[in-house]
Amino acid sequence: MIIPLDLVLFLVLIVTAVLALVVKDLLAAVALLASYSLFAALLFAGVLAVDVALVEAALGAGLTGVLFVIAILATTRHSSPRPDTRRRWAVLPLIVAFLGLMLFASTGLPDRGDPDAPAHQGVSQTYLTDSFTDTETPNVVTSLLADYRSMDTLGETMVIVTAALAAALVLVRRVDDPSDRTDDPRDTPGGDADLDRDLDRTDEDGYGGRGPR
Amino acid sequence: MIGAYPSVVVRVVCALLSPFILMFGLYVVAHGHYGPGGGFAGGVFIAVGAILPRLTLPEELAYRLVPPAVGPLAGGVGLLLFLLVGTLPLLVGGAFLDYGAVEIAGMEASRVRYLGILVVEAAVGLAVFGAMVLIVDVLTGKDRP
Repeated sequence: MIIPLDLVLFLVLIVTAVLALVVKDLLAAVALLASYSLFAALLFAGVLAVDVALVEAALGAGLTGVLFVIAILATTRHSSPRPDTRRRWAVLPLIVAFLGLMLFASTGLPDRGDPDAPAHQGVSQTYLTDSFTDTETPNVVTSLLADYRSMDTLGETMVIVTAALAAALVLVRRVDDPSDRTDDPRDTPGGDADLDRDLDRTDEDGYGGRGPR
Repeated sequence: MIGAYPSVVVRVVCALLSPFILMFGLYVVAHGHYGPGGGFAGGVFIAVGAILPRLTLPEELAYRLVPPAVGPLAGGVGLLLFLLVGTLPLLVGGAFLDYGAVEIAGMEASRVRYLGILVVEAAVGLAVFGAMVLIVDVLTGKDRP
């Protein structure tokens, strides 16, 4: 009963991905991407990878959508039309060839849950059997991430904080002269004028305004 | 910069929902030993609970609930906490990030590892929360933080 559910989810994943590429309204594309992440999370939960599913649901379906919506509010909502449509058909054989290669390669993979698979042979046996006596942690994923392989987690955390700081450095608009601060021009190339006006009006309603500095 | 959402229904629902999302995030961080989740997912949930007021409530109110300075502060403190927990075993002769080497009276090594995992999860959650809030703040604010 589980295999057909997987197939249905895969089909929905492909459909949402293609729709997100095709649709002209970027806000609809963001909603489709969020639903794509939600179905991917269901797929992960279906293969009992609940930790991955939780992160995918929280990050992919939740926060990434919020970030995209904020980016759309700051720029424009409509995608610009492609200048050259003929080039699209030229890459079609490449995509088909790549898909065939991947499908051919997937036949060499071990079955899911196969105890003889190479991934289940090496050190993972030790982790699974010794996790509880070593760390008193029933969830092996947690003890793996935060104890056995905590150096990887440290690197990951460093990457996240560094990426956020780099994004802040790129995106922050530091106005050096304090007198310029009130009429900081919104530098939005190709921006949507209506959207800008809406935002400004919301500010003037008395709800918005500048926060405490 | 986003300001208040025009509909009062959305404002009230989001104001009611965000503390519960925060609480669920704390639960996910603290419950990583026994269930799915841990620092990363929990930090994202806490960040969503902090970002929701910024999207819907009046700006001054949202920034009073979670000030913009919290983002870089939490990110830095989380990373520092992780590094400190990693260097603590070095002082007593263990390897980097080997929490079991620290000897606490009346506790087995496995219990110390358990506590080390908890602190590391909290540090990761703090760092992820700070990073996400920082990104949202620089995307929405003109001249902040």
